[in-house]
Amino acid sequence: MSLLAPIICDNGTGYSKVGFAGNSDPSFVFPTAIATRGSAAQSSRSGPAVPAKPGNLASKRGVEDLDFFIGDEALANAKTPGYGVSYPIRHGQIDNWDYMERYWEQTIFKYLRAEPEDHYFLLTEPPLNPPENREQTAEIFFESFNIQGLYIAVQAVLALAASWSSNRVTDRTLTGTVIDSGDGVTHVIPCAEGYVIGSAIKHIPIAGRDITQFVLNLMRERGEMSQVPPEDQLKVAGKVKENYTYVCQDIVKEFRKYDVEPYKYFERFDGEHSVTGRKYSVDVGYERFLAPEIFFNPEIYSSDFLTPLPEIVDSTIQASPIDVRRGLYKNIVLSGGSTMFQHFDQRLKRDLKQLVGRRLEASAISSGSAQKSSGVEVDVISHKRQRYAVWFGGSLLASLPEFYSSCHTKAQYDEIGPSIGRRYKIFGSAT
Amino acid sequence: MSNVLRPYLAAVRSTLTAALTLENFSSQVVERHNKPEVEVAGSKEVLLNPLTISRNENERVLIEPSVNSIRVSIKIKQADEIERILCHKFTRFLMQRAESFIVLRRKPIKGYDISFLITNTHTESMLKHKIVDFIIQFMEDVDREISEMKLSLQCPSSYSRRVVPYSGKSGPLESSFLLWCSSVCVEKFNA
Amino acid sequence: MILLEPHNYIIQTTLVDKFSKPTSLDVQFVDFDGVRFHLSTPERKTALLLSMHIHCWDELVRYGALDVIRREYGSLVQAQPEPEYNVSLVIDLDTAPPEGEQRDSFIHSIALMKRNALAAPFELAFKKQKELETSASGQGDLMAIHYRNEEAIYIQAAHDRVTVIFSTVFREETDRIFGRVFLQEFVDARRLPQIQNAPQVLFTNREPPLEIRQVPGLKDSEDVGYVTFVLFPRHFANLNVAAGTISHIELFRDYLHYHIKCSKAYMQSRMRHRVSEFQKVLNRAKTEAASSERKTVTGRTLQTR
Repeated sequence: MSLLAPIICDNGTGYSKVGFAGNSDPSFVFPTAIATRGSAAQSSRSGPAVPAKPGNLASKRGVEDLDFFIGDEALANAKTPGYGVSYPIRHGQIDNWDYMERYWEQTIFKYLRAEPEDHYFLLTEPPLNPPENREQTAEIFFESFNIQGLYIAVQAVLALAASWSSNRVTDRTLTGTVIDSGDGVTHVIPCAEGYVIGSAIKHIPIAGRDITQFVLNLMRERGEMSQVPPEDQLKVAGKVKENYTYVCQDIVKEFRKYDVEPYKYFERFDGEHSVTGRKYSVDVGYERFLAPEIFFNPEIYSSDFLTPLPEIVDSTIQASPIDVRRGLYKNIVLSGGSTMFQHFDQRLKRDLKQLVGRRLEASAISSGSAQKSSGVEVDVISHKRQRYAVWFGGSLLASLPEFYSSCHTKAQYDEIGPSIGRRYKIFGSAT
Repeated sequence: MSNVLRPYLAAVRSTLTAALTLENFSSQVVERHNKPEVEVAGSKEVLLNPLTISRNENERVLIEPSVNSIRVSIKIKQADEIERILCHKFTRFLMQRAESFIVLRRKPIKGYDISFLITNTHTESMLKHKIVDFIIQFMEDVDREISEMKLSLQCPSSYSRRVVPYSGKSGPLESSFLLWCSSVCVEKFNA
Repeated sequence: MILLEPHNYIIQTTLVDKFSKPTSLDVQFVDFDGVRFHLSTPERKTALLLSMHIHCWDELVRYGALDVIRREYGSLVQAQPEPEYNVSLVIDLDTAPPEGEQRDSFIHSIALMKRNALAAPFELAFKKQKELETSASGQGDLMAIHYRNEEAIYIQAAHDRVTVIFSTVFREETDRIFGRVFLQEFVDARRLPQIQNAPQVLFTNREPPLEIRQVPGLKDSEDVGYVTFVLFPRHFANLNVAAGTISHIELFRDYLHYHIKCSKAYMQSRMRHRVSEFQKVLNRAKTEAASSERKTVTGRTLQTR
């Protein structure tokens, strides 16, 4: 029954994206949260209640281990007395295996309605995930769920694969730089032929959450938020960020444009109070282009992180081995919701080109040689599937025929044991 | 600890304490090597007499001392098929994590379920009586854990006291299903 | 979540979503027992085409699945199903019932598509039993539904009952033992007074029950189990009860395997806990590393190599 589509499970810190291979969108996107019986404080102790005194049979399995909610339902039940919500993934890595196992259990049986024995699974892991975690994952999936086969892919590599859907990509390569920006953190990850160059990875503490906060600050300063009830303000800021913002090419010119013709550029946002239903509307102005600007001029938002994104990307590539740098410049791929701003790719490409151009010039002058460099091609790829790029890349790879031969099968697991999770095979690239 | 188990564990404890007299001992065969002699079993004079302490045919401990290392192998009680599979799962799970249990051997020796290998470096870096405590505690807990897991799997028919959350809107099959679930995962109330 | 729900969650959420905001889509997904679905908008955004593929469709048709589907969905059923699929429904968002309860129940009924298709042989058997009841003897034909590659449901009506037999395969030894414990538990549970009127359950390992012993090609190995449900007329006395019974029985196999997996997950978390306990005991044995740092007069530390 291997006819059935493989299941792609991308469990992120904030949201999990799950669905079947071959589709262009995940079937479910819900928070990686689990609400269990017993207070959150108690559950942090981890593990089921084990009797304090020997001989006491109180540890008899209760229904508690079946009584839990995941995803949106978990958040909805957060206030129900007796339930505590916890987030089993921290900083991209699985923190609480007990919860994660049950989270998967319900994802598969309740939401996907799939019999794990009939399916192959593709899971994702963050870069620099310790191999022990892969072993644990393999153990859970093969021993508890008896799945047919498992492939654990690095998120950045999947994001690269997702960019193949863009028509600007001609060769299917797994070499490139991935800029992955979600809600909590932004990573710049260089990959060479499907392998992550771990030493060169850089993190930027600016991501979706900060942009929303910045929009909120701007609107508060202009006094727009005075009409909005306090509990809705963050939500309004989020909506404004998602619907009205774009990246400008020149911040000074943009300001001037707005000042000359404010009516042309100012937008109105209409909202409704979530409880009373009272209507309100706010003007959306400079934050339209200022919000994503914090990637390029972080000083306008934070005082302790000041390096613009293009510089980070440049230094990441410079920190990588010299023979892959060309490939890394040529294929810069965006992934995650916070890279969805209009013209983000063009601005990044322009700034990066300038940086590279300047360095080439400087080196030509300092070496004093008459020979000129042929130049470095810089390209930033933006595509339609950017928001769930990691999931989509998984869906793409898992629908290739080679996927099945690259998976670890149940038989192999039984032969070798969980350490099988340590090895993996790169596939799918044309090279 | 049940009283029936006590003499058995006491015997293991005193034997272990006596056997844990290890010293640094370089390999006689290869220069600058230092191997646990009980594993190498190269020369007879450094091995001491192995000793089996057995409670019954299903539960026994094999202690193999040598000059610089000692191997303790435990056969865990397995009364039926369920206990056998649970024991297998549990020991496998433990041995998977042998890295963090410094004294645990990755594979049991033949005829036993789990083995420990304690070398002179262990006794030098850890307190000897505490290592013995650990082994004893392990033997105690393993039995208990397995029987508890078994109980949680199959449940004696004490669930009749449990009020089945049954709304009564569907057929009798549902109640039976519900009951079945609760029988599988019932919580014993009077515990 | 103790019980599995009979309806498909993806169909439900997608339909609710599309009703509020029609967009073009093309998704494929599955349900238990190797059922495949394809939901797409081939012509326009408001006309959804939902196709289903069931492993044992031919057998189901023989037992009247098409009639059941037609009865449930009426004009939605396409005369010519989509290629590679067995049955197709067209859901026109414009002509669907208005918002509110009516629409919810409409969506729910569509989400029950797989359940309805599988319900056909059960309904047939219940009908047959009614017919035989008057004659007070004889029995109906044995209906076999090979809903998975190696597993099947057998249904047979007799004058006073309907027998449903599941054959199920446990791929792993642990599963087999866990499954056996559960099924035994299920059999034992019936002795309780509260559920005396639940259907009778029998469980055999390896040995096929008498009813199907003559069926050719039964696999004879240690990992096959047979579960027999004996349904008496009171289990399908009226339509509602019958519908509930069918929904539950259909999902029995998935339910069983779900619980086996849950218990395995539970065992794992217990073991993880126990391991960390052992770890603590062992760590107690470690002597404190001598942390007295020796320093020179100028404040440099000495390192031992």
